[in-house]
Amino acid sequence: MAAPDRDETSRATIVRVLSRRRNTLGVTVGPGAVWIVLLLVAPLAFMSAVSFATIENFQIVWDPTLEHYYDLFAGGTTEYSLGPVGFTTTAFEEAIMLSYAIATVATVLCLVLAFPLAYVMARLNDRMFKIVIYLVLLPFFTMYLVRAYSWVLMFGQNGILNQVLGLLGFGRVGAFEYGLLPVIVGLTHAYFPYMLVTLYASLDGLDFTLIEAARDLGASRFEVVKDHIIPLTMPGIVGGSLFVFVPSVGAFVTPQILGVGKVQMIGILIENRAIGEATNPATASAASMVVVVSVVAALFLVFRYVSLDELGGV
Amino acid sequence: MSRRDTVDENRSTSSRRVSRRAYLAGTGAVGLAAAAGCTGSPGGGTPTINIITWNDYAKDPVVEAVESNVDATVEVTSSTSSTEMFQRMNQGGEFDIAVPNNNLVSRFIEADLIEPVNMDIVSNYENIYEKFKSFANQQFTVEGNTYGVPARWGWYGYAYNTAEVPDHEPSYKIMFESDYVEEDLAGAIIMYDEAAKTMPVAALYLAEAEDDPSYKEALTENDAMTFSEEQIQNMRDLLIDQKPRLEGYISSDTTYIQQFQQGNFLVGHSGRNEIVRLQENQGVEDVEFVVPQEGAMAWYETAVVSSDSENVDTAWEVVNQYMAPTAGAELARAGKSPSCNPDVADELSEEEQALYGRIDPERIEQFIPFKDIADDVSDAYFSAWEEVKA
Repeated sequence: MAAPDRDETSRATIVRVLSRRRNTLGVTVGPGAVWIVLLLVAPLAFMSAVSFATIENFQIVWDPTLEHYYDLFAGGTTEYSLGPVGFTTTAFEEAIMLSYAIATVATVLCLVLAFPLAYVMARLNDRMFKIVIYLVLLPFFTMYLVRAYSWVLMFGQNGILNQVLGLLGFGRVGAFEYGLLPVIVGLTHAYFPYMLVTLYASLDGLDFTLIEAARDLGASRFEVVKDHIIPLTMPGIVGGSLFVFVPSVGAFVTPQILGVGKVQMIGILIENRAIGEATNPATASAASMVVVVSVVAALFLVFRYVSLDELGGV
Repeated sequence: MSRRDTVDENRSTSSRRVSRRAYLAGTGAVGLAAAAGCTGSPGGGTPTINIITWNDYAKDPVVEAVESNVDATVEVTSSTSSTEMFQRMNQGGEFDIAVPNNNLVSRFIEADLIEPVNMDIVSNYENIYEKFKSFANQQFTVEGNTYGVPARWGWYGYAYNTAEVPDHEPSYKIMFESDYVEEDLAGAIIMYDEAAKTMPVAALYLAEAEDDPSYKEALTENDAMTFSEEQIQNMRDLLIDQKPRLEGYISSDTTYIQQFQQGNFLVGHSGRNEIVRLQENQGVEDVEFVVPQEGAMAWYETAVVSSDSENVDTAWEVVNQYMAPTAGAELARAGKSPSCNPDVADELSEEEQALYGRIDPERIEQFIPFKDIADDVSDAYFSAWEEVKA
């Protein structure tokens, strides 16, 4: 009798080991779980712990305190008024509100710019689609820093935009100097592909005969968009918005380069507390935890209306 | 041996059976060798001294000049901030030497990270300008022990575009008062993106504008900046009012130079060395650096040696070499900044001496060294700076 094939025996052993439910789970989920635990859960847990720790002589002392959270919201001196109501804010509150405002504007801009393009791409034939998606995504094959620095040349008091306006006789425009507008443009540019690809996935699954039917039954173009296309692609809109909004809130590079120190988004404030001259890892961690919690709360609200399965398409 | 030969040899080696004992012995030997490499003492030979400091210290001519006079291999990790140097050393064990700016040395002492200077080894300490010795005595000498060696220095003022901004009496008023010169400077002013450098400018301006010398006293009279909370609020308000006139806050030399050349600002708070680079390396002529009448802040890099270093004496020898005329001259060339040791100037050409050579000690007397903020107002100080930036 011939000896059993050595490879066959090994294969049978592997199949037998893997067929046990616990081993199957270990092999399939294990590496991903270890990755997430080591690189996400553990740092987050450590950051959470540090946010409650005390700092003495620049060392972390495990003496729990809520002081760092209190300081984020207490003792604000910048005065604002909302009608008859006056209030003061801290730098942290201003930074987080500014970050949410900028991220919202960047998300809306991405949506408005990407939606028509995604719609056109969904209607194109295969060959034209490939050409368009290649042309649209081509700039994004370059490193983000390079693209961000290209905006540095465009903006500024004597940047290309203001120089062109000067040549045309309009004079310099203050909005084109470094600050809020360049940061919004930079973020919109950076995260545009995430919105575009998500919307395309959603629109590509759309049954366009429904739209034709609606038109045949007398719906105007506006009504078709409002009553059919938007509701049917809502998961894509929500998904794309998340992919733009969440990283925009915590953006660091774009406001650092295009804000030239004048746009203090939350990422910049945290960086200064974490590794800048105001070094204090506990306050930096507390600020980061507030951002994490606020973003998770926003996601929680979103997932009440859209399921996770729907986010990538229809 | 060709690459293929190596691969084949590895294959034949891997096919051999290796006993568990041989395997353990082998890994043990590799581990020991690796550990020896980490501690910088491979087999008791030339030690490796790891330094975290500014990029200029890592340039080949500088490192070669140091290594040629000391029995050590120098490995330099470049950093762009003193805070980063502090944090990396605070994380433990990695570096023998750091060279932060003087205002951060007190943090190293507070965190118990560094050794007192061994004056027997750092013989060049004797030669540095008396003023820097007095700065060192005031800022980082504890119970008679000095914890750092002033290495290289420079001063801050402002630079302006001479083609656009008319001649004027140098004053920080140009940054805070819109009618100080005829040129409209709205959106054309740059400040330094660091509280430690920009808050003192506000203090010096307020000392003159409000005829209140207490602002200047807070900068000069102690080993830290001792502003009151009220003074900090006034400085904050001044800087917030100034903000609409700014192009922004910049800390990188490269960005400063690029923005100046692009014509995005006309007046910029800056160190003298940035402007020397702008003139020497970029050939820019329409720029002038001035020291304002209110006073100028001076920085000086200070070499400190880690308490965790296994080669403390060798580390001080390396520091001593960075202060010596030969390596000191290379360092001055690399950063366009003068050494704290005036003897270094002897190694520089006449042209170099004019830019970063020996400085008249009387002139050094005019400068105020940057300092860390006093502990009791540090929260108010950093909050104020965050509010300025908000």
